[in-house]
Amino acid sequence: MRQTKKRKIREGNPAVTVLLYVLAGLAAFVTLYPMYYVLILSLSEPEFAATMKVYVLPKGFNLDAYTALVRDTKMWRAYANTFLYVIPNTILMVLTSTVVAYGLNYKKLIGRKWLTMYLLIPMYFSGGFITSFLLILKLGLYDNPLSQIIPSCFSIWNIILVRSYFRTIPDSLSEAAKIDGAGVMQVLANVFIPLGKPIFAVIAVYTIVGTWNSWFRASIYLPHTEWQPLQLYLRRILVEASASATDNLDLDVLEQLLKKQMSGVQLKYAMIIFTSLPVLCTYPFFQKYFVKGMVMGSLKE
Amino acid sequence: MLRKDNSGQKKKGSPKYGKGVIKENLQIYALMLPTLLLILIFCYYPLYGVIISFQDYVPGNAFFGEGVKWVGLKWFKKFVGGHYFWRLIKNTLVLSGLNLIFGFTAPILFALLIDQIKHLKFKKFVQTASYMPYFISMVIVAGMVLSFTGADGMITSLLSVFGFEKQNYNVNSAAFPWIYTFTNVWKGFGFGSILYCSIISSIDPGLYEAAKLDGANRWQQVWHITLPGLRAVIAINLINTVGSVLSTNTDLILLLYNPATYDVADVIGTYTYRLGILEGQYSYTTAAGLFTSIIGFIFTYIANKISNALTGYGLW
Repeated sequence: MRQTKKRKIREGNPAVTVLLYVLAGLAAFVTLYPMYYVLILSLSEPEFAATMKVYVLPKGFNLDAYTALVRDTKMWRAYANTFLYVIPNTILMVLTSTVVAYGLNYKKLIGRKWLTMYLLIPMYFSGGFITSFLLILKLGLYDNPLSQIIPSCFSIWNIILVRSYFRTIPDSLSEAAKIDGAGVMQVLANVFIPLGKPIFAVIAVYTIVGTWNSWFRASIYLPHTEWQPLQLYLRRILVEASASATDNLDLDVLEQLLKKQMSGVQLKYAMIIFTSLPVLCTYPFFQKYFVKGMVMGSLKE
Repeated sequence: MLRKDNSGQKKKGSPKYGKGVIKENLQIYALMLPTLLLILIFCYYPLYGVIISFQDYVPGNAFFGEGVKWVGLKWFKKFVGGHYFWRLIKNTLVLSGLNLIFGFTAPILFALLIDQIKHLKFKKFVQTASYMPYFISMVIVAGMVLSFTGADGMITSLLSVFGFEKQNYNVNSAAFPWIYTFTNVWKGFGFGSILYCSIISSIDPGLYEAAKLDGANRWQQVWHITLPGLRAVIAINLINTVGSVLSTNTDLILLLYNPATYDVADVIGTYTYRLGILEGQYSYTTAAGLFTSIIGFIFTYIANKISNALTGYGLW
């Protein structure tokens, strides 16, 4: 559609320019409006929210859904679990990627060809999630919170990303450090780690968002709610209980709902806002790291 | 002669096998060892575990040695001859095909559109907005979609304005492929455009100036300058998309589907999940997974061949 219209009218035609701006604005609207709709419905008075017909501005203003929500101890537990997985995963991811990238970047590494091959094979072939699941069973990591950290604290992709960044650091710097008597460890600590900060930020941001949003691995490795992350809690409420919105809620919260005559949908929407907030408020600030990572990742090819 | 001498000298004089180098290598390998072990365990061991697709595997058994029952291609035959095989293949191809038509092209079209926006603040705003869905988790996206397309959801109400029947689209098989495709496009088009945008911005502006002087209109500039500039990336992305045609976005389907929509939504990945993880048929589902990987590899190979012949770009 967009193209045929462009073809008809000559360059510089203000009508086309306006049309393109309208299309771009429409794209932004389509991405933002669903979230906005969820927000205004969650803030409306329960009697309006129950009709689901709140389209432009909240009808009335009511925070009861949120006050009911924050009493849900299960949610807080799940929130805490997510933090428990995000923090070590991020730190370990930066560490594991850095050391292997540093090794690969070391000029006189013996067996580099083999090492590169060793890293490339798993990028193209995988055994699938069934055999990974069997491995987790075998290692005794099933039903164990460590299953959310140990298998996911490294990534070959990230190793290659850091390696391609390290390659841009001039050799003269490590040569100079060596002349001053620094060993390989000191060169890593005094040259590559301080200079690699931008790429560490990229990887940290990728890992934080990735771990925060991941649910599949947790859903197959963690059968009990005790250690399940926030995303699985959300799945129970938003996806599995879509027939009756109030299943799987804390009794305390349920009581609140009944008292206030609040619809399950409103509570669900409040939950969507409440749990996306950390990511939604921060992503505009770290989007530049994602852009950088995408571009660097493509350059390596 | 000279060259030979040189190389001999270099080997002799080079510190490649010097004491210091070996010591440094040891230190570096010691540093890498934990990560390399993790890769061995969590990447290579599952790869090796694929051997169970040729066995009657019982959990707890070793992969070789006593007690292993080799069954040859039994599971592959069972899968290919199975009741659900053609349904799974059809569903997988339909959903991947829709994704190829819409999901693959949307980021390219969006990047071309964004490139035409010259007001920088507005451009930045639209781009930032378009990345948002990428950062929202799949679970939340699925929750929103299920709610919006439910009996009194926002999208259902919107559609009823255009004369569609008010119904719960989540249990409607005909609607599922479109819901799935639209969700995929919505979640990925902005983020997918990043790479295209960065390449467009690296195209020499002089080319556009020259084209304008020659009287090229907006569309001709896009067709003769921007798109050729994107050719290599488009070719490579297309090969990858074609190669993963049998591995649909299982994540999203698992969240969106239900028994009422299995007839169009059940794909190889979700089938493997139900029978493998939930019912414990490990050998059978591993065989199904291996089958998918092999077909995927063949697809990638063919797509790469075609792309090399047509565009000159390929993965290898």
